[in-house]
Amino acid sequence: MASVSVLDELKKAQILELLEQGKRVDGRALDEARELTIETNAIPKANGSARVRLGDTEVICGVKIQPDRPFPDTGDRGIFMCTAELLPLSHPTVETGPPQPPVIELARVTDRGIRESHMIDVSKLVILKDKSVVGVFADNVVVDQDGNLFDACSYAATAALLVAKTPKWDWVDEKPTLVEGEETPLPIETIPVSVTMGKIGNHIVVDPNGDEWASMDARVTITSDSNGNICALQKGGSDGFTQDEINQCGEISVKVGAKIREKLKAAQSGSQ
Amino acid sequence: MDNKRKYVIPGDVVTTGPFRPEQNVILEGNKIISTTIGISEIYDDSVRVIPLTGKYIPKINDLVIGKVISHTSLSWELDINSCYVGFLPAQDVFGRDFSAHADELSSKLASGDLVAARIANFDRTRDPLITISDRDLGKIDSGDLVKISPSKVPRLIGKRGSMIQMIEMATNAAVTIGQNGWVVVSCETPEGLLKAKKAIEMINEKAHVANLTDQVKEMLEIKDES
Amino acid sequence: MGGRDATMVLLDENGIRCDGRKVDETRRIMIRAGGLKNADGSAYIEFGDNKILVGVFGPRDVHPKHMSNTDTGILRVRYHMEPFSVGERKNPAPSRREIEISKVIKEALEPAVMLEKFPRTAVDVFIEVLQADGGTRCAALTAASVALADAGIPMRDMVAAVAAGKVADTVILDVNNEEDQAGQADMPIGYMPSLDKITLLQLDGVLTPEEYKKCVDVGVKGCKIVYELQKKALNDKYFGNGGD
Repeated sequence: MASVSVLDELKKAQILELLEQGKRVDGRALDEARELTIETNAIPKANGSARVRLGDTEVICGVKIQPDRPFPDTGDRGIFMCTAELLPLSHPTVETGPPQPPVIELARVTDRGIRESHMIDVSKLVILKDKSVVGVFADNVVVDQDGNLFDACSYAATAALLVAKTPKWDWVDEKPTLVEGEETPLPIETIPVSVTMGKIGNHIVVDPNGDEWASMDARVTITSDSNGNICALQKGGSDGFTQDEINQCGEISVKVGAKIREKLKAAQSGSQ
Repeated sequence: MDNKRKYVIPGDVVTTGPFRPEQNVILEGNKIISTTIGISEIYDDSVRVIPLTGKYIPKINDLVIGKVISHTSLSWELDINSCYVGFLPAQDVFGRDFSAHADELSSKLASGDLVAARIANFDRTRDPLITISDRDLGKIDSGDLVKISPSKVPRLIGKRGSMIQMIEMATNAAVTIGQNGWVVVSCETPEGLLKAKKAIEMINEKAHVANLTDQVKEMLEIKDES
Repeated sequence: MGGRDATMVLLDENGIRCDGRKVDETRRIMIRAGGLKNADGSAYIEFGDNKILVGVFGPRDVHPKHMSNTDTGILRVRYHMEPFSVGERKNPAPSRREIEISKVIKEALEPAVMLEKFPRTAVDVFIEVLQADGGTRCAALTAASVALADAGIPMRDMVAAVAAGKVADTVILDVNNEEDQAGQADMPIGYMPSLDKITLLQLDGVLTPEEYKKCVDVGVKGCKIVYELQKKALNDKYFGNGGD
């Protein structure tokens, strides 16, 4: 079997034809994302978790928080790491084995979107400077695929971090020791939201579904924070964007991002 | 459900006694056991189970919808929604004087193209052989592809074609049903197209429901002439 | 597997276990057939606090070709735990434990699946443990069986599984995490109810010959209970609105 799904030509032609009329196959507007459902604390034993459905794309993120050694040059800051994995049950073309470049890109883009926004104030995650800090790990697993894994992973990780509770550790007898019964939310500074746009012909579509993803010539993922500032960006695909298109994408990402931020906030308060 | 038909899952005993095991059942001692999720049927002297799930298993002469995945200089490979890939030799399209040097396969069929095809030959030792050389077969130029479970195809066709004819007449759509569960729908009006697709999807989801025909009629807004 | 943990009461004077269950009671089990859009078959199980998702693809082409078998299809099983599924974050790379469990589950399913009709193909079973709490391999095997049926893979029988064990010198059914850590024996059992065959069996711990027989007996009875829930899961999805 080919390692890339072949989109049938009829579907591709149909997508382009509808776009020429300003329409999409599933009836959405060009700047409209699919239905987003966020279930927080889907994995109760993790420190935080969320199960996100964006259309038929589904991602689960589990946050684990545990003591760790700091990086050598940043002894006054905790550790944050975000990963992403495509589970083989998510699509027939996923192979087991070491991650391929597209998955590595997915993981790093998701990580950067959250890290560069300074969502978590890692300076507040220190147990003993230079010796012991709190490590926050957000691990995304893609469970079902229908296009736009970038945004689904971003929303799952962000939602999981928003509801995560971190335990408290004291430095006792030369090691970090858990203090029972003292759990607090993570120090959250902002809520980053990524918005991915695909370019099909001369049209920009927000949140491409599986068929649109296979038809698009290029894509861009833009992350904005609660102040409406853009903090991370990744362009992908084998074609290019004009300057106008890139500017347009920047504006769309902030506008659409604001709406999605409201959903993330609602999920956060819904779980309290 | 009369007592000759039962819902079964793998391992369920359909019946005991001197029956001949046919499709999707096995004989264990004197018990006839289902090997799949489905509806069991007992005839005069044989037992079978009609599966409600599972991939398409090619049968000679079946009409299928296929999608071109790739080609060599001598043949195309088709995805026919089965565990085996369909094999369409160049001679089938170019004729017996086909020449690998002179004739370019992608000029006739390229990756991503959909075709209406027939299973010319198949046994477990080799990939199914496909033909598109009949009048009603060949490349599909227009229409929407709807994918349903192959096990629901008989329900979509209906007794002597009654279900699919009802849908075509109510919507003015033309529907080509592949035994492999791939269905192509085309219609002059977008409303008719949407209705026809909805009807097909409804049958795929509710094939086991008793009054499905009435539900489809209602959805298509067909008035009874009574 | 340690010996007795003096601080945890695994069985009190009324015969009640540490999570409130009686000795022959399973944890709460919920099984759902289907649920994934792209997999050919799928199932989700909650077995106590275990949460496990299974996806099946196949029969399908085998790559690389030299791994395929010209006489019969092959079964491949991958049991994998997510980093967030256990107490301390787990490295995503497959551990030796996961590899062994993958093999054991494959060999528990092989007697059930009938792949002679699909030479040169493979059936892939992908097990993902989202949250673990003792007895994951039994829950995984149970869900895998449902996912295979959901995919339409021909099977002689379903395979149901649960672990029997021993705490405080008493044979129990369905060992949870604390009982596995601090108890005296843990015996996971996988069983085909129609054919009356045990296809998964392992043991950790010390049992007298009588306790051994009792464990197997308790385990098989437990598997029959689990089987009823597998049946219910498939009935709910396929025969939803009752009879025809």
